[in-house]
Amino acid sequence: MKFLIYRYDPESDKKPFMQAFELADDEIQPGMMLRDALLKIKSQDETLAFRHSCGEGVCGSDAININGANGLGCLTAVSSLKQPIEVRPVPGMPVIRDLVVDMSQFFKHYRGVKPWLIVHDSEPEVEYLQSPEDRDKLDGLYECILCGCCSTSCPSFWWNPDKFRGPAALLQSYRFLADSRDQATEERLEDLDGPYRMFRCHTIMNCVNVCPKSLNPTAAINNIKKLMVKDMV
Amino acid sequence: MSIHAQGMRAWLLQRLSGAYIGLYLVVALLVIGFGPTLDYTRWHALLSQPAISIATMVFFYSILIHAWVGIRDVLVDYVQLSALRFSILMGLALGLISMGIWVSMILFSVVSL
Repeated sequence: MKFLIYRYDPESDKKPFMQAFELADDEIQPGMMLRDALLKIKSQDETLAFRHSCGEGVCGSDAININGANGLGCLTAVSSLKQPIEVRPVPGMPVIRDLVVDMSQFFKHYRGVKPWLIVHDSEPEVEYLQSPEDRDKLDGLYECILCGCCSTSCPSFWWNPDKFRGPAALLQSYRFLADSRDQATEERLEDLDGPYRMFRCHTIMNCVNVCPKSLNPTAAINNIKKLMVKDMV
Repeated sequence: MSIHAQGMRAWLLQRLSGAYIGLYLVVALLVIGFGPTLDYTRWHALLSQPAISIATMVFFYSILIHAWVGIRDVLVDYVQLSALRFSILMGLALGLISMGIWVSMILFSVVSL
């Protein structure tokens, strides 16, 4: 099985290049995921750098660009991919080394939407109650693992990475706007108004296309817009 | 509309103007398709009615607003240099406003009050 992997070490390389690797057929097990293949390649060349952790699509560490589309190495079966399998870092982010990118900007936007419950009432004696129906409204929102596949495949995020929140952060913003226990709807909506933070989204829907958890940030963004219209009238 | 309309307001204006453009076009196509042949006298008769004249004016203004928001969106994405973006936006605003004045003058010259 043939691989072409993006290599770049800013300390020694003048510019990035693609390096060819090959794994013998007996090294490929049925149902083998790309992450396992990368680990085998790493045993051939220890200098190859990439992030990974749980290997089950839960930690969100191993977002990479696979044959032109973002995805998680641990959830992508190598047998489903056209050869040579081209592996690159997720686009639009500064490369630290090889497949490892600097996610600071991404997490800055995540923090920017205040991804926690804001309650102005005095704290209840026991716990914050929520009806099962209200809890259901969080389905499709809370499952995000913050891998960044969506935001780094979004052209609006590429053009304005410092100002546009990006699909991942906006999905998280709606996760708290939709929460019956949250009391900061006004502040959250006000914060997202203006030309950049949310309204750079042009419903290109690359985010929906690549989300490894099959979530729909575009729908969440539309729901935020609906809340804004409701808030206006 | 203010050239500073941004975020929610711009988005809403674009949706509303788009909806009006669509509605007007459907009605206009029905009138053209099912009415008698459109010659100069019929155009003149149609547009001299104040209601139709106003609806047509709103249609052209909607196109101008829709174009303003849409082109500004593209410029905000692709033209990162503020001075250049500002100059293009000013040129665009000037062009759109003159078109608005021009279309108003034409419609006013036909309408009979």
